[in-house]
Amino acid sequence: MTSASSPATRIELPRILGAIRPRARWTETSLIAIVAVALVVGSVSLSLGVTGRLAPFDPRGLAIYVAALVLAHVGQVLAGRRSDEILLPVVGLLGGLSLLLMERLPQDLVTLDIGETQLGLGDVQLVWLVLAIAVATILGITVRSDSWLRRYKYTWAASGIALLLLTFVFGSDVAGQRLTLRLGPISGQPSELLKVILVVFLAGYLSENRPLLIEQDTRLGPIRLPPLPYLAPMVAMWAIALGIVVIQRDLGAALLFFAVFLALTYAATGRLSLVAIGSVLFFAGSALMASLFDHVRDRVDIWLDPFADPLGTGYQIVQSLHAFARGGLLGTGLGEGLPIVGGRLPIPEVHTDFPLAALGEELGLVGVIAILGLFFVVIERGLRIGASAADDFRAILATGLALVVGVQAFIIAAGNLKVLPLTGVTLPFISYGGSSLLVNAIVVGLLLALSDRGVEPPPPPTDVRRWRDRLRRRAAR
Amino acid sequence: MDGMLVVIWAVRLLFLALLYIFLARVVRSLLRDLRAAAREPGATLGRLLVIESPGGDPEQGRSFDLDAITTLGRDVNNAIVVEDPFASAEHAVLTYRGRSWYVEDLGSTNGTYVNGRVVATVSPLGFGDEVSIGQVRLRLERARLT
Repeated sequence: MTSASSPATRIELPRILGAIRPRARWTETSLIAIVAVALVVGSVSLSLGVTGRLAPFDPRGLAIYVAALVLAHVGQVLAGRRSDEILLPVVGLLGGLSLLLMERLPQDLVTLDIGETQLGLGDVQLVWLVLAIAVATILGITVRSDSWLRRYKYTWAASGIALLLLTFVFGSDVAGQRLTLRLGPISGQPSELLKVILVVFLAGYLSENRPLLIEQDTRLGPIRLPPLPYLAPMVAMWAIALGIVVIQRDLGAALLFFAVFLALTYAATGRLSLVAIGSVLFFAGSALMASLFDHVRDRVDIWLDPFADPLGTGYQIVQSLHAFARGGLLGTGLGEGLPIVGGRLPIPEVHTDFPLAALGEELGLVGVIAILGLFFVVIERGLRIGASAADDFRAILATGLALVVGVQAFIIAAGNLKVLPLTGVTLPFISYGGSSLLVNAIVVGLLLALSDRGVEPPPPPTDVRRWRDRLRRRAAR
Repeated sequence: MDGMLVVIWAVRLLFLALLYIFLARVVRSLLRDLRAAAREPGATLGRLLVIESPGGDPEQGRSFDLDAITTLGRDVNNAIVVEDPFASAEHAVLTYRGRSWYVEDLGSTNGTYVNGRVVATVSPLGFGDEVSIGQVRLRLERARLT
């Protein structure tokens, strides 16, 4: 009943540049040690496969990566926050697998010239991975308040839409999709960033309107629907998703946004009717798109029967299926898959869209299940952080961040395995790509910050002065 | 048997085994975390944290674990006794129904407020919302886990 727990003991947190109060994180320490050992063994296995020597494949790159992980761990220990200890090692292992894979693929897939030296695929990915670890750790250590996300939800939404429009107007076409935005030397894919902005906006919107969405009904005969004005954002979201498909030809992002939107709406309100309406809208929209646009219909046709044109449109997916089949139960071993057949890659775009197929070939079913397990752990941590958050905004934010990563991993894994039509999204933490890695690092950093019990309490929802004034007036009377 | 082949297979299997050792360690930590949360005595529907209380009863910073029906007011029979000159004897009641918390004003003299807005009869209450009774401000928070 009224069993009062003791007043919430608040931990004095050091200011960013103030006194440092280190706090041991033994779980994280031991997990990172296992990650380091696993990566060294993986590297030796790769070296045996490629060159036949019993030594790490690329000792320098491996050392840099492991050092970055250890530094991130030490940084968190020194900062002394009580944040999650499992996310960093899990993501670190996924990133390590990515490094092993990228070092092993043909290095000229991606090159970057810095002065005299030319960096290949593995080196460029290493740079991005180290940057991603740095971003996640810095966010996890320094973010102590969420008001910069909470207060400006419409500003965030507007900036997201602006990004989308900028990409549409100034973006450059790569492989028939207009996804890349170039600003001077820097280029990136804004739709990666957009997914985080979407979650921030939805968390703000849903936490503010949750009572209304739960409480009120619009009756339509026997059907009880949520209040109609509050359905407007849902319809707007649907329209934006369709717009992305039509204008940017980016099926993956559209699917990801809409799925995360539906899942979050359900998580916030618990109303199945909203999900039902959303699903009906989704299938109606998909059917419409498939009948109107060739590129959508092609994707569906390839999915239904890739073997109809195995050397043309179905080539990628057929090769991916063959790769999984070659892998079998235990895989061919790292470095012993088929990198090049007849002068071309067996799977085009293997480093961005099909890393799971390459890993499936070399690590087999056992390895793929382990990788999927790692993604499940990331989702579990996010949902758990959401379940124990102090208020609705943080709960929905953490849930959404976890789902964005999880749903994206599912979409591309299912695409590689011909469970869903193939859509070009990246496999989080594993695919090659700066924007993908950095944005997923932002997600991890925010989750780390949200998991800390010591962050400042949520601000009061609205102004409480009104209540006090009214009380004063009554007292005066 | 070719010695090299044995080494290659040993390293390969060791790598896969290490992936699973890592997963097993992670799952063990996750289970420990979940069990600790389930054992927690305060695993209730939510709690009410006293943010401001000029009278000192209930004292500021105290938190109450909530039942599905929790009454508030100055009378000693209330689940949460609010000793405040502006509070009525039977001031308000918090109920958990279906998916959400609700606060109901029991015809108090000075009214019940949610986030500074007066509650006419019943108002839904989200986690993080503030309820004001007299001069006492309370915030609804999720039950503490872990």
